[in-house]
Amino acid sequence: MSLAIVLLMVLSIASVIGTVLLQNQEQTDYLQQFGPLWYWVFRSLGLFDMYHTWWFLTLLGFLMLSLTACLWRNVPKMLKEMRSNKVTLNERSLKRMELLQHWKLKSTMSAAELEQIFRKQLYGWKFKAVEENGQHFVRADKGRKHKWGYISVHSAILIVLVGGWISVQFGFRGNMAVAEGSMEKTISFLKGTETATLDMPFQVRCNSFEINFFATGAPSEFRSNLTIIDEGKEVLTSDIIVNEPLFYKGVYIYQASFGDGGSDVSFKLFHMDGSQKTSIAKTSVYKTWKDPETGLSLEVTDFRPYNVENIAETFGEKKFKDIGPSVEYVIRGSGIKPVKVKSYMNPYIDADGNNQGSWMTVSLTGDAKDYQTVAMGLDFTNQDEWRLYNAFIGYLSQIEGKRNEKVNFEAFQKALHDVYGDSPPKDIQSIGTRTIQAVNLLPQLPWPVIPVLDDFNHVYYTGLQLAKDPGMNVVWIGSAILVFGLCIMFYMPHRKLWLVIRDTEDGTEVSLAGITNRNQIAFKETFNDLFTKLDKEFGHS
Amino acid sequence: MTAMTAEPSIWELVNRGRWALVRFYAYIGASLGISAMAMYAQGGYNEDAFLYQILSSQGLLWGGTGALVGAALAAVVITMKPAMLQGRVAPNTVPWLDGMLLMVILASIAALFEPAASQISYEDQSKLIAGSIIMAMNVVFIFSAVAYIAYLFAPENFIGRIATGSAYFGIYAGGTALLLRWHESYMIDVEIGHAPVSNLYEVFILLFMITAAIYLSFERRYGAKGMGAFVMVLVSAGVFFGVWLDSVGQADIKPLVPALQSYWMKIHVPMNFVGYGAFAVACGAGMTYLLRHGMEARGSKSKMLNIFPTLDQLDQLAYKSVAVGFPAFTLATILGAAWAAEAWGGYWSWDPKETWALIVWLVYGAYLHARVSHGWHGKALAWWAVGGFLVTVFCFIGVNMYLSGLHSYGRLT
Repeated sequence: MSLAIVLLMVLSIASVIGTVLLQNQEQTDYLQQFGPLWYWVFRSLGLFDMYHTWWFLTLLGFLMLSLTACLWRNVPKMLKEMRSNKVTLNERSLKRMELLQHWKLKSTMSAAELEQIFRKQLYGWKFKAVEENGQHFVRADKGRKHKWGYISVHSAILIVLVGGWISVQFGFRGNMAVAEGSMEKTISFLKGTETATLDMPFQVRCNSFEINFFATGAPSEFRSNLTIIDEGKEVLTSDIIVNEPLFYKGVYIYQASFGDGGSDVSFKLFHMDGSQKTSIAKTSVYKTWKDPETGLSLEVTDFRPYNVENIAETFGEKKFKDIGPSVEYVIRGSGIKPVKVKSYMNPYIDADGNNQGSWMTVSLTGDAKDYQTVAMGLDFTNQDEWRLYNAFIGYLSQIEGKRNEKVNFEAFQKALHDVYGDSPPKDIQSIGTRTIQAVNLLPQLPWPVIPVLDDFNHVYYTGLQLAKDPGMNVVWIGSAILVFGLCIMFYMPHRKLWLVIRDTEDGTEVSLAGITNRNQIAFKETFNDLFTKLDKEFGHS
Repeated sequence: MTAMTAEPSIWELVNRGRWALVRFYAYIGASLGISAMAMYAQGGYNEDAFLYQILSSQGLLWGGTGALVGAALAAVVITMKPAMLQGRVAPNTVPWLDGMLLMVILASIAALFEPAASQISYEDQSKLIAGSIIMAMNVVFIFSAVAYIAYLFAPENFIGRIATGSAYFGIYAGGTALLLRWHESYMIDVEIGHAPVSNLYEVFILLFMITAAIYLSFERRYGAKGMGAFVMVLVSAGVFFGVWLDSVGQADIKPLVPALQSYWMKIHVPMNFVGYGAFAVACGAGMTYLLRHGMEARGSKSKMLNIFPTLDQLDQLAYKSVAVGFPAFTLATILGAAWAAEAWGGYWSWDPKETWALIVWLVYGAYLHARVSHGWHGKALAWWAVGGFLVTVFCFIGVNMYLSGLHSYGRLT
């Protein structure tokens, strides 16, 4: 087995590793996943950034060496072979031909006439004829340039690899997050297992970022409006979207991601101490708000202005609707288990238009997979419901000890009267059910206050990828040569045909011989066709 | 492998010589006409409306004029230089182009039977008819596989014809359904409309068509009918997977994620599937080789041996398929790199899908080295063709199922 095959197989097997093992993740994640022993084994082999390790690059280096050696050895030979076109054939090489047919002709056709018939059948072939030792040789060639296929394919791969090396050596690629209205100059990227930064020769300002949606709720477009500022001057303002980057000073700027750029959010805190009090907490995303009174803290991690969800109740059906803004935070306090919360600003309105009260999803583990829905019963955006809840709780505590359905109902009636007087709202049935739900649930929550998103001022950041790649054009040139070479290699076989004519005492002996270096089946068909036609022509005239 | 019939059939009359050449240049003329329309006509090129622009009276005028000019020029040139009739490109290409034209016509006719716009919505796509045509295709492909297997045991001409005929029917049904799906995506919502190569379900249908078509061209040219059982069984296995995808709701027309909204998708994806399809046929040839080799080694006198191509022919057919697939797959990967350069900022990111494409490329590259420069033949290479296809299948489906990465929009849920 030759070096080339071994090298190709070793490269492919090595490449598999990096696809099975996720590359360039957080080191802590790896440590958690594999345990300390395997973590250190994998890390010392560089498997977490495998395609840039010395041993993988050495493999690629070997591939380049092997390609160079092949070309060095074969190109002179091939060029010589393509130039030579020996017309004569000795008896032995004639016998060795893959395809061979003979005629014994009684007719008096001259060699020139026979050659003419032969030439007429072959369109697009190159001919050469020679007279030697009383034999008339005609050689026909098609695809003489076939060997150029080999040469161009192998040099093309070399060119592509060189292009790749130039890209890595002289190019860069990194990310930049620019909040709406602010400016950035520095990109960051992974170098091995560390993060490195690089300053651009210009600044990028994000004027705006927007997401457009299909009617189905799926995002249809991410669009950033950017201004390039070079040496204090605004030189260029343009929109970019995915698949349509911006180009400035040799650097491409791509729309890569987006996120919250530090939106202002304010929470309304509903105090659970029975005081009916509410207060306001103002903070912003990525900041932590601390309540001086209770020691409770809210670390706001994300904000979303829209949440398009499928609200259909039966499985398999689809009914997409924007259920409004949401905020994510981690809630901490003394004696409270820290939990991750995603809380929605609006109450949940189901597919039939019924108000199901405010809700949030809570993850006890902090993992997004473990979010559980908590329906709080009350619609916190409706001040009356909060009052009703507190009044009801108040009356219930007065009758503590002798609760039954009847006194409970009377307590609710009184609370209802306190809040609404003699004209209860139309959906009092549902409000009642939800208030009872709240009475059962809310006192069990460990938090001294319930934070509900009240107001916001939304700001996005746009995630840009900036790249400079001086090797790219080299790669494209290599690729073009590669495809071109493969086409020659596979679809332009070098086919050779000989017509050998010699006069004997009882007529003329004619041999037709053929050989090809590719696609023997098709050539055999062509050869047999040619033989049938020649047979007819030689025989008839 | 049976010899081709000697007397010229209607097929040969229409697809060889003068008629093939005239038609070939008519097609070239038509596509030049359409391109000219895109560049110079009023309205110009509008990505979302171009499909309809081609089929409108404007498109027919530009394309038709181009076709007529092409055909007329070809007719003149043939009289001046009759030797051109010997060329092989036109007769080899024209049947494929005819097939595509027929699919467009069939899809246009089927489009007339679509329900009214009021009955279609994104939420309920059940009334669209492409789904029924795909179901028919599924049944026919499975039927064809059964017929090809039956042909191995009962080599009646009649059964063979049914097998071949149903495979052709399946291809046309698939092509018609895909084109119709393209139209349907625009019927649901102009904003949603996109080429039908955007998810696993759609590209599976494309894969069936390409695999079957490459096989059938071998059957026609080299009479390799015994191989059909293996190729069509592979296709049928895919059909079952497609039916499963449908049953879990992956068959719906969905809007394109922003990353896929690019003309590159229309080029990169189909080109990839020419490669995958050809590798599938190579696998079929390899399996047939291994079966025949096993039977011969046991000294079997089974009649099946008369139907299978000879070992040498099977070996060459496997190579021929790789020779079709390898350049196509190389080009597809390069096109993918070009797209990645435009969308993600780098032509190569060592993303799992990219890396597996490289692995597939290396595996078949090694196959070609083994065969061409080292003269390997026979059993080892037959196994290689089969193994190579398993790697291809992993690249195509496995990566989407088990590995994450930038291609994760092709993900199974």
